[in-house]
This record gives sequence, structure tokens and C-alpha cells, in this order.
Amino acid sequence: MSDAVLTITELNKSFGGLQVIDDVSFDVARGSRTALIGPNGAGKTTVFNLLTGVYPIDDGRTVLDGVDVTNIPAKDRVIAGMSRSFQNIRLMPHLSTVENVMLGQHARARGLAQQLFPLGLLRRNRWAEEARAALEQAGLDTYPGQVVADLPYGIQKRIEVVRAMVANPKILLLDEPAAGLNSEETEELQLLLRQINDRGTTLLVVEHDMHFVRTLCQQVVVLNFGKKIFEGTPDEVHRDPAVKQAYLGTDSTAPEEAGNAA
Amino acid sequence: MGGEIEGLLVILCLNTIYAYGIFLPAASGQLNLGAAGFITLGAYAAAWLNMSPDSEPGGLGLPMVLSIPSAVLFAAAVGFVISVPILRTRGVYMVLATFAFAEVVSGLVINLEFVGAAAGMPAEDHVDFTGLLIITICVVAFCYYLMSTRFGLAMRSVHDDESVATLFGVNVRATRVAAFTIGAAIVGLGGALYGHHFNYVEAQGFNVLLSIFILLYVLLGGTQTAWGPLVGAAFFTFIPETIRWLGRWVGGEFGKELIEYRLVAFGIIIVMMMVLRPEGVVTRTLLERVFTLRRRAAPAAAE
Amino acid sequence: MEVLLQQIVNGLMLGGVYVMVAVAFTLVIGMLNFLNFTIPALFMVGAVMIWAVMQKGFGPGVDTFLNDTVGAQNKWIVGVVVALVVVSLLSLVIERFTYRYMKAKYGDATEHALPLVSSLGFLIIFEHFVIGRWGSDPLTMDSPFGNASFYVGTVQFSTPQTISLALSLAIVFSISLMLKKTKLGRALRSIAERPDTATLMGVDVNRIVPLVYVIAGLLCGIAGVLFAINYTTLDAYIGDKVATIAIAGMVLGGLGNVWGAVVGGLFVGLLEVLSIHWLGASIVKVPIWGMLLLILIIKPTGLFGHSAIGKGKF
Repeated sequence: MSDAVLTITELNKSFGGLQVIDDVSFDVARGSRTALIGPNGAGKTTVFNLLTGVYPIDDGRTVLDGVDVTNIPAKDRVIAGMSRSFQNIRLMPHLSTVENVMLGQHARARGLAQQLFPLGLLRRNRWAEEARAALEQAGLDTYPGQVVADLPYGIQKRIEVVRAMVANPKILLLDEPAAGLNSEETEELQLLLRQINDRGTTLLVVEHDMHFVRTLCQQVVVLNFGKKIFEGTPDEVHRDPAVKQAYLGTDSTAPEEAGNAA
Repeated sequence: MGGEIEGLLVILCLNTIYAYGIFLPAASGQLNLGAAGFITLGAYAAAWLNMSPDSEPGGLGLPMVLSIPSAVLFAAAVGFVISVPILRTRGVYMVLATFAFAEVVSGLVINLEFVGAAAGMPAEDHVDFTGLLIITICVVAFCYYLMSTRFGLAMRSVHDDESVATLFGVNVRATRVAAFTIGAAIVGLGGALYGHHFNYVEAQGFNVLLSIFILLYVLLGGTQTAWGPLVGAAFFTFIPETIRWLGRWVGGEFGKELIEYRLVAFGIIIVMMMVLRPEGVVTRTLLERVFTLRRRAAPAAAE
Repeated sequence: MEVLLQQIVNGLMLGGVYVMVAVAFTLVIGMLNFLNFTIPALFMVGAVMIWAVMQKGFGPGVDTFLNDTVGAQNKWIVGVVVALVVVSLLSLVIERFTYRYMKAKYGDATEHALPLVSSLGFLIIFEHFVIGRWGSDPLTMDSPFGNASFYVGTVQFSTPQTISLALSLAIVFSISLMLKKTKLGRALRSIAERPDTATLMGVDVNRIVPLVYVIAGLLCGIAGVLFAINYTTLDAYIGDKVATIAIAGMVLGGLGNVWGAVVGGLFVGLLEVLSIHWLGASIVKVPIWGMLLLILIIKPTGLFGHSAIGKGKF
């Protein structure tokens, strides 16, 4: 694990005296597809929020590709190479599909000239073309001009992934990308994520669907009550007694069962 | 009759310019109820800069080509300076802060002797209707361009979801300050043009009701697209006049009443509009529908 | 010194009017998170209604009828009743269009600027109705109580003004007591805190919200009536003038806080009268609005407000 794109060291966070993240450390290997799993309330989304700077970190360090990003402002983290999708869809409801994707490019469009470039007036500019190409690759090219609020859930979910992807991050943080998708949509999503990964983007995925995790990810980190209780391959994870205990103790869907059921 | 229509179009031009100045912050999610303050700043700055030093109350005697841009810069500078503290406030607080700002400006101006105090002051050079129309078209084109840029995209993203915009690298604070400042400059331009068209500026005319009306044009026109303010301003400049015209056409006692109560009807229309089109007359979905219909209609026509 | 004392008394009396309007604003903002611009309109309607009853505003026929039945000296009571009934009915209509209708159709109404815009629409309707009906010139009325006054030392107290101040404080006190002690008060506060869960807890939001509007409307109506009786000159825009200053008082006290609105209302009354006394009438806007601007920038929660109120998008 010498070549880590993201190193998290002794991360701590408490809300009003409640320790929600407790000394969590792990590495995400460059080019890997890593999953972050755990029962409800284990702190997975909180880890994402701490990484992307939604909340300040109480204690600990995050290093992204050799750069300490622990205390840089949230808006600069995407520039440093980290972008994400959200558990609950958070697309801009009044923007079109293409415009939402172009927001994902924002971090790459530096400087005043780029800010004042008329994206919407010139139909064939490189940003719009790129956004449309990214949508096409994700099989979403049929809705370029449509306002996203009117689109079905599954489509919106995938637009979120595309939006995060076009930021060209070093690491892509995906918060339950498959939640609420049907099996066909999940399949397409897997394909898309593999393509993204093949081009060198590291994936860190929070997911409940263990089948999805097992087929996609090579490495799994398990959190429970804000603590890391396991780190290893997906095959090892459901043999681990601590993980079993965590899932059976709090939630009826053990990763094993969930995996078999799917 | 021709004069009457021109008079109406002059009002439309000014209302359109004001509306775009309030639209820019509104498109990034900020309600500015201080239009009258920036109109006052622009109008008085232009009048004072333009007035010859020899006449009462005196000024700098700059030609109009300098006085108007300087007034715009002045409004922008004040907008920038106050945007920093004002944009720290949110929601209702921001509405009130901008409103308080406008009242402070008006309270100060009517006490400044060198701009004529309560009596107001003349703005000597005259901008005719043609000039006003050309500038209005430029303002609309500029705002349309601005909304189509990446900066416009950032503004609309900040309107929809500030924290997500931040996570994609948008500098939310800078975007809001820029939108507010450019908006202040445009409203100031409207004020300067008002002064130079009517050749007199008086702070009492730039009151709370004016700020309220301008905000209404913007919100009723719709803040999602750059067409909203134009439609809103046109709609609400013409509606009272249309009712007046209707009243004359109907004639008799009822017609007279209609003319007398035309602003009541106007208020009823505002309330009904909010029921029927709460996101404004022009929305993204509406434009999308119009354009897809046209696209669908085109091949059909070709067959 | 005596002059100053007299000015302080006058300021507090004027503040009594602002208190009621500020409390009306603060109730609606605290419970529904909405800056209700119909409040100035209802204040004006209250004032104009009692004026109309007193000064033949409804025509000579109605006036003769009133003189014959209740007598000229009792017309003001009819005026008060008419004013309060009219503002209550208008409040219910306004509630339909600024809150309930929108909420039913578009989810949380406060997400959009809807109620704000609709309330501005109502402001325009009422003001121009009054202008259309009674003109835009100042309307003057004979006070039913003349110039009754009494002295404490050398300081003059106008009797109706003193009664008005006491009345407005008593009304505000009962409202505050009602919010604290009664079941209705608890329901109202639960809406203020969590409108979504209030429904789940068995609070009928659709019945309670109109009540908030009516209470706020009555407060403005009474304030308008008292203003008309005490200051005897009004016009269609009187609501704007009074209510905007009351807003400053409300913000000073803190949005959503009833006693904050009382302190704030009295303070802006004092500030207005003393500014006129020391600085002159033409500059009075600057201290009041300058104060509001400063508070909003430095401590937007005011003296006693909660930070959560008023932060929604609009």
C-alpha cells in the first residue's frame, strides 16, 4: 500500500459531545476501487463530508496525492482533486442536464476569461461538447437541455456521477450511487464506474448493496459507530466476526445476506 | 398619442434597466429591496457631475459621456462596499438590510446641500428616447450574455444549492458579491439615465414603493432565465396602461371606475400570478417546452 | 430637561403604536418564517375604517343612520368594531393567498418568494383601493376624546395616548401569556419550531395558521385605530410609514421574540422623537435606518432573537 492517493490519519469528529468519527485511519490505493461500508449511522457520509470540507475536522489529517488538504477551504478541495456525489440527489433543480454537468467542470475552468466565456451562447464550445460526450458515455445523451427537476430518479442519480466525474478528480467519492436504481440501471452504473476507473480515477464508494460492492470493489473498509472495524478484500469481509457482529447487532441485513439476496 | 406611447416606452426602458440590476443578485438567490437607493446614487451622482459649477447648486460640469459612466462606477463602488457586510445576512435579513440601506441613502441625500437637499437638483444634459432605447438594449444583451457564461452558471448554482456549488469549486462569496455589485452598477445606470432624460432628480421620487415594484417585476418575470426581468417589466409597465385604455374603451361610469381602480386590478393580477405561475412567468421548463415545440414543428413543416 | 422629559414621554407614546405592529410582524415571522407586507396595509385599513365611520367616509346616508341609532358621540365605537371586523376578514383572505393555497400546491411556501410577493400584491390592492375611494390627500378626523390630558409635574400626558399605550402593552402581555400557558399557545409554538412535525403531533396547521393571521391582523387593526384616534391625520400610505419603522423595532428586539418587539418598538419610538428633537425632521430616516442596518450587519439576531428564524432562502 505504498502508493496511496488518499491517506486518512486518525480522523476525529464529534457533534455536540457525541463522537461520530473516532480515530479513523485508512489509505485508498491509487487506481483502486475501494468501498466504505457499515451499518446505518456508522459515519460513512460523515467521512465524506469531512473529506470534502462540509464540516471542519476536529482532529486528524487527510493527504490527497501528497498534498495536505485537511484545512483548505471546501471550494479548493475539488481543485486539489476530489469530487463527490451525494446520497440524496443534489443536482441543481433549475439547471439543465448539460448545465449541471458543466458545473462539474467548474474547478477546471480557472481564470476570468474562463468565467466570462459564453457557454450558453456558443452551441459548439469545448466545454459543452465535453459535457455532452460525458453524458453520452453514461447513456444519458437523450436529455441534454431538459431541466433536471423533471427527470426520473435513476437518471438524476447517474447525472450526479457524471457531474462529479467531469471534474477530472484524482479520487471520486460516491455516496450510495446505486441506491434506488433498478438492477438494469445498477448494471449500467457499474459499467460506467469501471470505465472511469480504467482511465485512472480512484473510486471510493459508500454503498449498502453488498453485491454491488463485491463485484465492483477490490478493497473494503468497514465502519461501525464511527470506528474502523475492518479493512480488507470483499471476500474476507463477511467472514470477519466483528463485521458480522456489527451488522447483526444493529441491522438485520448482514453483508452476507444482503450479498446473497442481491 | 405618439408622445404618450413614447412616454410609456421611456418608463419601460428605465423599468427594464432597474429590473435587470435587481435580477442579477436575485438569480444568485439574493433579494435586493434597495433599488431606490442605487437609483438615487446613480441619478444624483450623474446630475452633480454633469452640472456646471456656476449654476445652483453647482457641480463639476463634466459632459454626459463622462458623468453617466462615473455615476455607474460610483453606484458599483458603493454596491461593492456594502455588499460585503450585507451579503453576510440571509433571507429576510437581507431583504431588510437592503431596504434599510436605501432608506439611509435617501435620508442622507435630502440633507446634502450641495445636491440641492430636499428640493432635488437639475440634470442638465438630455438623453433622448433613442439613446435610452439603445442603452436599454445593450443592458439586456449584456445580462443575457452574463447569464450564459460560466459566471452565470455559478450564479444560478449558488441560487439552487450553495453548499454543493462550493463543493464543485464555486467561490460562493465572490459570486454573490460580483452579482450584487454588477446589479448595483446597472441600477445606478438606470438612475443616471432617469436624471438625464427627465433633467431633474428628486430623492422623494425614488421611494420604497419603487423598490418594491422593481423587485416585483423581477420575481414575477422569473429569476431562472435572463428573459424574466424584461417580460416582468413589460408586463407591469403595460398592465396599468392597458387597464386605463380598456376603461376608456368601455367608457361610462364603469370605465371611469376601472381607470380609477386600475392599480387595484394590478394588485389582484399580482396575487393571481403567484397562484398560477409561482416561479415567475418565464421558467426554464417553459422555454424548454417552447423550443422543443418549435423543433418538433420544424421537421413537420418540412415534410 | 423638561422639554427632554416631554419628548421622552411622546416617544414612548408613539412607540406604543410601533409595539403592536412590531409584535404582529414578529408573530408571523416567528411562526411562518415570512415577512408579511400586508401588515402595513391592515394597519392602514384599521385607521381608514374608523376615519370613514367618523367622517362620513361611507356617505351621508350611513352617517345619518349612525347618528340616529348610536348617536354622534358613540360613533367611534362603531368605527372600532367595523375596523376590527374588516381586518379580521381581510386577514383570512390574505392567509388563503399568501400561505395556505401556496403551501398546499407547492410544498413549503417559504422556499419560494411566493408569500412575500403575494403580500406585496395585497399591499398594492388595499392602498390603491383607499386612494381610489377616498383620494390620496391626507384624511383628517376629529378625535372622539378631544385634547383630554393630565399633568405629572410639568410633563403633559395625553389621556387617550396613555390609555392606548397601556392597552397595547396589556394586549401584548396577554398574547405572550397565551403563547406560554394555553394549549393553543403550545400548538402555535410547535408550528414555529417544526411545521412538519407539528402536523404529526396532532396540530391542525390549516386551522392554526389562519388564526396567526387574524391575531396579527387584529394587532395591526387596533394599532391603526389607536393611531387614527391619537394622531388624527392619516393617508393611504400611513401603513408603510409606520410599519417600516416598526420593522426596525422588531429587528432590534430580535425576530420572533414578542417582548423583544415591545422593547424594540418603544425604542424606535423614542429614537424617532428624539432624533427629530435634536437633529431635525428631515434627517430622521438616517438614525433609524442606520441603526437597523448596523444591527443587521453586527448582530442580526437582535437583542433577544433566535438565530434560526428568517434564514430561509427568502
